[in-house]
Amino acid sequence: MRSQSVGRALAQAALLGVLAVCRLGAQEPQQGSITGRVTDAATGQPVAAAQVSVVGTGVGTLTNDQGQYTIRGVNAGRHVVRVLRVGYAERRDTAVVTAGQAATVNFALQAVATTLSPVVTTATGEQRRVEVGNAIGQVDAAKAVATTAVANMGDLLVARTPGVMVFPGTQTGAGTRVRIRGLSSLSLSNNPIYIVDGVRVEGTTGSSSVSVGGTTPARINDLNPEEIESIEVVRGPSAATLYGTDAANGVIVIKTKRGVAGRPRLTYFTEQGFHVDQNQYPDAYRGWRSGSTASNTVQCFLTQVAAGACTQDSVTKYNLYDDPEATPNGLGYRQAHGLQVSGGSEALRYFLHGEWEDETGVLKIPEFDQRYLAAHGLAMRPEEAHPNHLGRISARGQFNIVLSPKASVDVSTGYTSQNVRLPMSDDSGVLGVAGNTYGGPGFKYNLSPTGDTLFGWRQFTPRDIYQTFTNQAIQRSISSLNGDWRPMEWLSLHGTFGLDYINRTDTQLCRFANCPDIGGDSRIGFKIDNRTNFFTYTANATAAATHRLSPVLESNTTAGVQYTRSIFDANYASGVGLPPGAVSISAAATLTASESRTESRTLGGFLEEHLAFRDRLFVTAGVRSDRNSAFGANFKTAFYPKLAVSWVASDESFFPRLGWLDQLRLRMAYGASGVQPGPTDAVQFYTATRTLGESGEATALVFSALGNRNLKPERSTELELGIDGTFWSNRLNVELTHYTKSSKDALVSRVLPPSLGTGSTVRFENLGKVRNSGWEALITAQLIQRDGFGWDIGLNGSTNDNELVSLGGVPPIVLSSTQQHREGYPLYGWWARELLSWNDKNGNGIIEYNADPAVSEIVVSDTARFLGYSNPRWILAFTNGFDVWKRRLRLGAMFDYQGGHKVYNNTERIRCASRNNCSGLINPNASLFEQARTVAVRQHPSRTVAGFIEDGDFIRFRELNLTFTAPEEWANRVFRGRSLTATVAARNLGILWTKYTGVDPEAFGTTGNAPSEFQAFGPPTYYVLRVSLGF
Amino acid sequence: MIFSMHAALCRPRLRRMLPTLRRAALAAGSLALAACSVSDILQVDTPDIIQPSDVQSAAGADAVRLGAIARLNFATSGGSSDSEGLFLLSGLFADEWNNGDSFIARQEVDERVITPQNNFLTDVDRLLHRARLSGMQAVQLLRQYKPNGPAADLAEMYFVQAYVETLVGEHYCDGLVFSTVQDGVEHYGQPITTQAAFELALAHADSGLALITGSTAADQKVGNALRVLRGRILLDLDRPADAGPAVSGVPTAFQYQNLHSQTTTDNAIWAYNNVARRYSVSTREGGNGLDFATANDPRVPVCTGGDAACRAIGVTRSDRDDNTRPLYVQMIWTTRDAPVAIVNGVEARLIEAESQLRANDPSWLTTLNALRTDGTFDTRPNAQDPTKTDTLWHAGSGGVAGLKPLTDPGTADGRVDLLFRERGFWLFGRGHRVGDLRRLIRQYGRSPETVFPTGDWHKGGQYGTDVNFPIPQAEQNNPNVAGQGCMNRNA
Repeated sequence: MRSQSVGRALAQAALLGVLAVCRLGAQEPQQGSITGRVTDAATGQPVAAAQVSVVGTGVGTLTNDQGQYTIRGVNAGRHVVRVLRVGYAERRDTAVVTAGQAATVNFALQAVATTLSPVVTTATGEQRRVEVGNAIGQVDAAKAVATTAVANMGDLLVARTPGVMVFPGTQTGAGTRVRIRGLSSLSLSNNPIYIVDGVRVEGTTGSSSVSVGGTTPARINDLNPEEIESIEVVRGPSAATLYGTDAANGVIVIKTKRGVAGRPRLTYFTEQGFHVDQNQYPDAYRGWRSGSTASNTVQCFLTQVAAGACTQDSVTKYNLYDDPEATPNGLGYRQAHGLQVSGGSEALRYFLHGEWEDETGVLKIPEFDQRYLAAHGLAMRPEEAHPNHLGRISARGQFNIVLSPKASVDVSTGYTSQNVRLPMSDDSGVLGVAGNTYGGPGFKYNLSPTGDTLFGWRQFTPRDIYQTFTNQAIQRSISSLNGDWRPMEWLSLHGTFGLDYINRTDTQLCRFANCPDIGGDSRIGFKIDNRTNFFTYTANATAAATHRLSPVLESNTTAGVQYTRSIFDANYASGVGLPPGAVSISAAATLTASESRTESRTLGGFLEEHLAFRDRLFVTAGVRSDRNSAFGANFKTAFYPKLAVSWVASDESFFPRLGWLDQLRLRMAYGASGVQPGPTDAVQFYTATRTLGESGEATALVFSALGNRNLKPERSTELELGIDGTFWSNRLNVELTHYTKSSKDALVSRVLPPSLGTGSTVRFENLGKVRNSGWEALITAQLIQRDGFGWDIGLNGSTNDNELVSLGGVPPIVLSSTQQHREGYPLYGWWARELLSWNDKNGNGIIEYNADPAVSEIVVSDTARFLGYSNPRWILAFTNGFDVWKRRLRLGAMFDYQGGHKVYNNTERIRCASRNNCSGLINPNASLFEQARTVAVRQHPSRTVAGFIEDGDFIRFRELNLTFTAPEEWANRVFRGRSLTATVAARNLGILWTKYTGVDPEAFGTTGNAPSEFQAFGPPTYYVLRVSLGF
Repeated sequence: MIFSMHAALCRPRLRRMLPTLRRAALAAGSLALAACSVSDILQVDTPDIIQPSDVQSAAGADAVRLGAIARLNFATSGGSSDSEGLFLLSGLFADEWNNGDSFIARQEVDERVITPQNNFLTDVDRLLHRARLSGMQAVQLLRQYKPNGPAADLAEMYFVQAYVETLVGEHYCDGLVFSTVQDGVEHYGQPITTQAAFELALAHADSGLALITGSTAADQKVGNALRVLRGRILLDLDRPADAGPAVSGVPTAFQYQNLHSQTTTDNAIWAYNNVARRYSVSTREGGNGLDFATANDPRVPVCTGGDAACRAIGVTRSDRDDNTRPLYVQMIWTTRDAPVAIVNGVEARLIEAESQLRANDPSWLTTLNALRTDGTFDTRPNAQDPTKTDTLWHAGSGGVAGLKPLTDPGTADGRVDLLFRERGFWLFGRGHRVGDLRRLIRQYGRSPETVFPTGDWHKGGQYGTDVNFPIPQAEQNNPNVAGQGCMNRNA
């Protein structure tokens, strides 16, 4: 059955191939060429990299650095030539081609305010934006990198596209978490997939095999933003259908930079910057009483005062982050040097890039520890003194080779060598930095068991903590080969082959007699060395046939096959018990080793028909079928249909001609896509373990997973409706979109009853149904557009309503004490027994709990209640740009708002519940609410943490940048160069407004679907100077 | 349907293109060939997993048998990455351990207010049933593929099942469930009472014992383990008259051990108390608790974090994970690989003593004292308060631990108290205490408030009223349980 389905798809593709070859043999008409120049209408300057194409054919080219172009192999006759370039209005003109002759058509393009590219990349190739029934988000990466403080992909993506939630990391080298149009999957990844130059690449979050707490790298941050030309965000199944199984969470399509024909252009750039942690961390309190000493934990809490159990002699507070002697925060430094060369001829265009980056995080050895080390004749190793660091060398080459007027090949290859050091931080308990800073005793001169002063740190200080050395080394190569062959003017064939290869080495080392002494054998030394290879292969082939069915109706038929193969292949080794001086596992007393390998393969085929009526009504219909190695044995093939309509209504003759309206487009798209299960989710199996018997260690087998033979992919369908308009001579652009995404057959990680005795605690079953809906809007406007001054604004926003419609009869899934999946509520919502009210009934200023409701001063609900979304429901980003001094100086700023959600202030919870240093527990001036939530978590039988789940709304001053573009003559005069650009930029200038009382509503790790702030750092503020010199 | 294709087909030049068509046909054939081997293209290796067919052999059966032993280890004294195992959690619920960390779910257990959602409760329940399932699977596989193998191997798998069923019965409320997976298909169990669980355990213990007909070392080890277990079950079933005889002949020195090592499973008691300091030995917890930490009893040697004795065993911290003090550290298992005797001959004697006491046989005290022996008293200054003096008993040359002989308290309640104190100290940390406290309520008429920790909880608030573990909420996914939980919360 499965073979038949795929076979049918392949047969269709073969038929198309037959037709193609048939027509190949047909007698070809005489051919000529079209040539010309594209310039800016206002300045007369050449426009490079403009797309020039012959309408109704697959024939086209790019202009060179002088704005010149030549299209060869054009059939003799009358043709419409079209020019597209971001920042300019589309232009068309007619060319009459004579056999063996060159027809000349020049274009003068009118600049417009829009920042959207007129061309978007779809699964079947590039298409004009107006022809596509979806709104596709775009990020002008090259511009963003040149004008803002972009250090990683998270910086590049955050707040630039509606419907895309980006959670940037809070430390150097930390990962980035991306969610598009809400959460769809209860149990599988909600990460989008990433495509670079047509090739699927690894984009997992939490990509580490050693633990340093909540902060982990994400593989998407291996990509260097400097190498990226543009990013397109395919937001949901209605647009992602042809990307197949796994694309339901959206697709992020990345195009790397390409060369522009012309003489070699060399650009050197450097970034020099620093970053600081400007966050306000909470004070630690201590309630002193008779018997309290600097080395014990005897305190007097407010509730004890109220009960008459003790008297607070005094209350002290101390914040080590505010004390220059004690703070671990210093000055982080970032520098980068890069060189780019591009140029070439019509036959060969090239782009080469190489860059060296070095970034040191803000963590340092506190002054008191430095003194201690000096006094004891000790020294930290350099890598320990700066435990948070990123070093990266990246290189990329992009070659566009025109083999003939009908054939071309694009070769793209990139290499990244990267080392990331992350400290034990976030949720690393007693071994972590934050666990020791948040858990301090509320005064400065507390003592360790050995009598050393801890300067307000809880148990351990950086001189011990930083000795746990954790490094992730990445060697990564993303390469692709894209070939185009246009055997006939109406037929084009395209093939892609690519490989994303990653070699990841995670090491963690604690030398003999190093690291925090937590007792036992904690200081005998250990080394972990885990080596993982990731392979992601992509092979695509498509054939597209274009035919003008009538003077007003044009058809484009595309068929294709796609094959992806992902391999995860890991070897893990560790050794415990290192002799002095040893840093190798080989020297360890006890060795362990293991390996892991998983593989996933997908084979898909698709067919798409695109019709264009009078170049104003566009209808696209298609279907994709997939088979995947992870599907259950009883499930064969997934089919995903799509239908999209785009109608440029304003081009209709009946549409009223309004002076202020340039274009009005209505669009609709429906489509389906999926998310595939994990490689072994469908399989029943045993796993191996070891046991120690009387005759020594022996291998053993234990029953692990029940498996599910009926397992199939999650299937998401989406209906997207939208309206786009451009107004006032393209000075105002508006996109408005409504989407409804429904995921059925959602893989529910069905909890297995413990009594079954299976190793796996869950089994994936296709039971659930999840609905996401919302609005997205994008507005760009050029408010003032004069020669010497310009003012533009941008606004993008989105809403998201998420609902778990059905669990398929499964009882509500309790994920933790604070999260549940319940029908009728959003996924990963916050749940707890609610702190309903508090009232100081006896008027003593202290909130108390009593088992007698009549006396108790807090009221807690009897059952867990829904408290709120865990992810923002409303996102809004506002950008402002001012161009002055003949537009050579540009000042830009971005503010963004996220809200409608709650953030679990788990840091304050643990401070109140067990660190015994929060205000609500000790401070007589604490608000009644602070006291109430503390009493609820400490004394109420429910131990409810509901009071710590707080509104997460915030407005952040995200970016501020000032860019100066010097006149060419300056560059020429100063260094005989071509261009000089300098940018001063700042990122994350602070929270302007929030209801959240924790450190920062974005202070959390970058994995998981419902992040909470748990002993995490806040994001630092970056200041960068970037200078770019062109030669 | 496809307009461009249709248009192409209508072209009149096809005849002239036969050679091209042949090439196209070849290409199409290649594609078709590819389609035929789609299954091959999608075939992947899964080297990390063992297929069910791989255990269908004598060697496979043996590996599953060892897996059952490993899982029993995880479930009790070994723990896992998710859970510390039953022994610790049980002692936390009773009066053996105090909570020393910030996890609310552990605090619930310590405070006797356990919610069914409690993740530690759920995790330990899974560990127990995994061991039981592995034992069942091993029995089936050994009978099928290794019918002539050592009887002790098969009997030991019955021991694993019976032991887990006993632990489950001793700790959980009525309404507990035993499900199975047979031939790869799940079979959900029905809720049963703890009494029914003990009877099931007894049946499995009997099945195991019936297999032991030889006298090899393995036969003796497994046989004795089963005998002691039978005695324990019979006490749980309130059949003391049967329990005593059930364990007769088991040497007092006998031990059935969970073995731990650097590379398999840690001794979880050492890991959670001595290293992570999430647990601290209790003393007189909630008023009713035994003075484990302060009794200076050589059966439960305890040091205080920061003192010389603790430093000598590598415990350098003086506070618990939550920074509170004192940290009391047990010194029975002082290394990662210290073995834990989950069944031993001392327990057999204690069972006999209880059987005798219930029969008003005065030899009960003799039996208890036989475990203790001659020695001398000594005094030394108290480590915390030098103004006080500790009196220590030093073991003599004979007996098991050299403890001071007991004297008859003279009252029925006093005798029961003494017996259960002896059990508490002899069997410390090995999952007996909750069962004992419940038996005190169930069989000896004590009220829960007089046996379980009661009153002010040491971290604020009051102790709850739980006398057993609830059925974990995760069990609601069993269609036979959905909507139900504990039948009752009685002891």
